[in-house]
Amino acid sequence: MSDRFKIGLLLFPALSIIVVLFFGGLLVGLMRSFNYMPVIGLTQPDLSAYVSVFTDKEFYLSFLLTFHIAFTSTVISCILAVAAALLLRRQFIGRAVVNFLFQLNLTVPHLVGAIGILYLFSQSGSFARLAAEWGMIAGPSDFPALVFDPYAIGIILQYVWKEVPFIGVIVLANMQSIGEDYESVARSLGASRWQAFRHVLLPLIFPGMLSASVMVFAFTFGAYEIPAILGANYPAALPVLAYRHYTDVDLAARPEAMAMAIIIALLSAVMIYFYVRFSRQRVRS
Amino acid sequence: MTHVSLKQLTKIYPGSIEPSLDQLSLEIASGELTALLGPSGCGKTTTMKMIAGLLEPTAGDVTFDGRSVLRDKPEHRGVVMVFQNYLLFPYMSVAANIGFGLKMRKIDQTEIDRRVSEMLDLVKLPDLGARRPSELSGGQQQRVALARALIVQPNVLLLDEPLSNLDAHLRFEMRDLIRNLQQDMGITTIFVTHDQEEAVVLADKVALILDGRLKQYDVPSAFYSRPVDKATALFFGGQNFLAGTVNDDQFVTRFGSLRLSEKTPNGPGTLTIRPENIRIGSTADGRNSVVASLIDKIYLGTQTRLQCQVGETQLQVIANPNDVLEYEPGQNIPLLFPENALWVLQS
Repeated sequence: MSDRFKIGLLLFPALSIIVVLFFGGLLVGLMRSFNYMPVIGLTQPDLSAYVSVFTDKEFYLSFLLTFHIAFTSTVISCILAVAAALLLRRQFIGRAVVNFLFQLNLTVPHLVGAIGILYLFSQSGSFARLAAEWGMIAGPSDFPALVFDPYAIGIILQYVWKEVPFIGVIVLANMQSIGEDYESVARSLGASRWQAFRHVLLPLIFPGMLSASVMVFAFTFGAYEIPAILGANYPAALPVLAYRHYTDVDLAARPEAMAMAIIIALLSAVMIYFYVRFSRQRVRS
Repeated sequence: MTHVSLKQLTKIYPGSIEPSLDQLSLEIASGELTALLGPSGCGKTTTMKMIAGLLEPTAGDVTFDGRSVLRDKPEHRGVVMVFQNYLLFPYMSVAANIGFGLKMRKIDQTEIDRRVSEMLDLVKLPDLGARRPSELSGGQQQRVALARALIVQPNVLLLDEPLSNLDAHLRFEMRDLIRNLQQDMGITTIFVTHDQEEAVVLADKVALILDGRLKQYDVPSAFYSRPVDKATALFFGGQNFLAGTVNDDQFVTRFGSLRLSEKTPNGPGTLTIRPENIRIGSTADGRNSVVASLIDKIYLGTQTRLQCQVGETQLQVIANPNDVLEYEPGQNIPLLFPENALWVLQS
């Protein structure tokens, strides 16, 4: 048996699942987005679902909101993760404990985190009650709207809480493998601490940071459950909007949901492409 | 041109009890090329990093021209360190690597380009500015690292094992290049090496550090002719150590007395003579001569190594192959100990 055949055979179970579930799902979704659903008598493919999506004002508002959520939470998570990694790579007493605490919420599901945010930051949550109790605000309803708010602060807070350790762990491992000698060279050549970080360390950790942040961006752009729990009703994030169409009592709304899902996937891919390109240019220029 | 002084420089790393460097004091004259020599882990690189400001000493001081620089940040010391593995920035071109220090000083880009071009010529890599470090050989990377350091015209240049990653041919080439550039530019230079030959060939003065302590700081030839102790002599390839007593400029051993050329205090001591300094033959009056038994003879091409025995004392001799053609193992061989090659070690 040739090596190539053996490798193919070993990869077959994993690849078949990916191909069937991913490409199968994609194909079905694509067909339905073109209004092709023989089950309910739609047998003439057309672009009406896409036309309907692109002529709906809510779609654009949802897109802007989703982009804002994904971009803001990715950027904030990246900055905080790099700052945390810079601190955690130093030697100090209690470093192991801090490191453990830093990574602890990696094990906590998003949903649990979202409920935590809801309990803590909503206008009926713990902080609102405490603020009212301590006389900082007249009543819990005066607490600033951080959940179900138009700026999606609660959603971003949840993503940042969850993604900082995810990016941080990757960046920290990267920093530790690089060591500090490159920065030492830069310092001895006249670079300040900031210059050594900006011109030497950042470009070196950049590939790892970029991979992690692309994952975070793609996830936050396409995730449904957090915007569904913590987001405002209008405008809703794109995945929430797509799901609403999908679960509409009218089966004819399903092609629109599928068109929206396809659009989310395409937009995600396009934005990740530009994000990667732009970031590379910025960091390495 | 900067005079560098290290005063009782000590470093104890957190979590360690033993100092990695213990009260090192050195005076390095302006424009001098000094080698910090010693085995791995003896504190050489630690010393360099403290001079560069990349590590804080536990105690002691570093002064440049009499002024303490301990409070100066690394970027303000005027010290550039070239690391053993070059550490060229992999995402930058060769030209950008060389110009890095000038860019950090916010020098005009036209001026940077001009000086980078000069440096590339100086290190004999005129056409490689656009390449990436990964596209260069080890020797070329070393030259780029050197150019990157020299372009900022440092007061003090630190080289960490500059030749250790190069093959034999490139070593000779780089050794000459470093020596010539250092002499032309007159930069006070300190380099770290574990190779005594490298230290002797390159340096004006050598500081031998063993177990974090300075053993000897002297001109290279002194380590062969006047080692301070047995450990120093051993590090420089010394192999013959004879126990005995100094008595009125005579060293009395079990097999006879040897006349010393230098005034040496009376008392017990250890006499050393390098294998290459023992001659085959004897003097007319038999002074400083012994007859030894030849145990082994190994031909090494340009020289022959002899293992001899006098009484219970083993002696290693390195001789010209033509001088020992007639002697075979098992025969007696006359050995002469020249007075000026004998040295009594401090007890």
